Amino acid sequence: MVHLSDREISAEIIEACRLGDRDAFRALYDVYKDRVYSISLYFFHGDPAMASDVSQQVFLKLITSIGQFRGDAGFSTWLYRLVVNACLDAARRSKPNVTLSEEFSKPGSQEEDYARAQMAQSVRAAVSALPPKFRIAVLLRHFEDLSYEQMAKALHCSMGTVASRLSRGHRILAERLKGFIGARQ
Amino acid sequence: MTMFTSHISRQLAAHIDGELAPRKAQQAELHMGQCERCRAEREQVRFGMAVLDDLPLVEAPESTWAPIDAAFQESRSRKMPLVGQWRMAFAATVVFVLIGAAYWLVTRQSGMRWEVMRIEGSPAVGAQHIRGAGQVAAGDWIETDARSSARVKVGEIGSVEVEPNTRVRVVATRPREHRFALLRGEIRAKISAPPRLFFVDTASGTAVDLGCEYALKTDEDGFGMLRVTKGWVSFQFKGLESLVPAGASCRTRPRAGPGIPYFDDAPENLKQALERFAFEKGGNEALDIIIAEARIRDTLTLWHLLSRVEGEDRGRVYDRMAALTPVPAGVSREQALKLDPETLNRWKEELAWTW
Repeated sequence: MVHLSDREISAEIIEACRLGDRDAFRALYDVYKDRVYSISLYFFHGDPAMASDVSQQVFLKLITSIGQFRGDAGFSTWLYRLVVNACLDAARRSKPNVTLSEEFSKPGSQEEDYARAQMAQSVRAAVSALPPKFRIAVLLRHFEDLSYEQMAKALHCSMGTVASRLSRGHRILAERLKGFIGARQ
Repeated sequence: MTMFTSHISRQLAAHIDGELAPRKAQQAELHMGQCERCRAEREQVRFGMAVLDDLPLVEAPESTWAPIDAAFQESRSRKMPLVGQWRMAFAATVVFVLIGAAYWLVTRQSGMRWEVMRIEGSPAVGAQHIRGAGQVAAGDWIETDARSSARVKVGEIGSVEVEPNTRVRVVATRPREHRFALLRGEIRAKISAPPRLFFVDTASGTAVDLGCEYALKTDEDGFGMLRVTKGWVSFQFKGLESLVPAGASCRTRPRAGPGIPYFDDAPENLKQALERFAFEKGGNEALDIIIAEARIRDTLTLWHLLSRVEGEDRGRVYDRMAALTPVPAGVSREQALKLDPETLNRWKEELAWTW
């Protein structure tokens, strides 16, 4: 899991954004941009143009709706709800998922660099091939250290559903990447 | 205490993440103590979580910010109080009426004027030396001698430093086209904008910004070098294109356009062979060295080579790439050797993770 130090933006920054302070908005953007972009990038099969589009949609939506943020939930939860909406909406409009190639389950070469590259590529492909609702849950958990309660709010579902999607999503990944079990141990 | 009588597949991630209530977690432990299937599934979930360590955080390109910033500024202006808006509108009208005609005369059809600042020495704009700050418009030349340099603010999208012994002309200053022509010397560009808004023409082709920072130099004969430090640059000449990412460079030659890009940390043998192959008719010997020396990251070089060699040589390049890194789904040897654009693009997108 990715661990980041500056996790939650301060109430002062959010208030300054509401009042139209550009520097404050840039600070907010800087805190979240890489995580929003990374989630979008891996959600959309490594397509940087789509990741940029979705990231922009998220922050543009933030501009118009930050006045509605009441502070009764964490800002991250609220922001990631926008990310989830943007990703799932864009996925509905775009092509069907990329399917996982049989090549990815073949055993790797003896060459260490090759094996590492193959592992990384296979993980990206396996994540890409997850159903969208599992994929977004897995990516949210990986890139943002939200509790299940926060994830439930971001994903518009119950905590039980979060647990179920994460369990199934990670098991699907494990099944598709079982050829690498030895490589990771 | 009651024990889970059914399997706990749906709870496993929550159990591993410590998200089950203590009582439920204890029940889950008791169940797994007796259930081999759930223990095996727990290990699967753990493995599924562990493999995600191979998904690193990726930095958002700086070009993502520009449209967001523009929308934020627009939103801010709309939020101004009504009285404030009327005052601003009145003041703006007065100012525009006063300066409009003069502005039109100065800029005519060529676009905006950009600020140019002296960094050191006495750079010149046209025939005039600038001591502090000045302005440049389309058609103006900026020239520095051995002891002078200048910085140009390129509209709202970035800046260009004009290094010593450089002669560069401002070609266009429009919102959709910011363009210089570099006759000789070196410029360093820092651009934060959506792709394809900033261009630099040279005798050997055009550098097209894809959201980046880079240095571009050329001598008067048109022999040049592009070195990218952030983002991507596309260098184009008569249908030939080289894509150069951060950490990579690309030589340019008059009438030949861009060479094949390579990473600055590539083996010296590879770089020298590449020079001989691209510009000195180095032939098979140079190609042998390039293929033998290439690392995974040097698939940047090999990917560009694919379309610049023919016949058996193209097959050798393909085979080396396939040996260095797995060929992704949707890319076949047959289509790659035919230079199918969709195939090459798909492969490039996958390879770019290693560049």
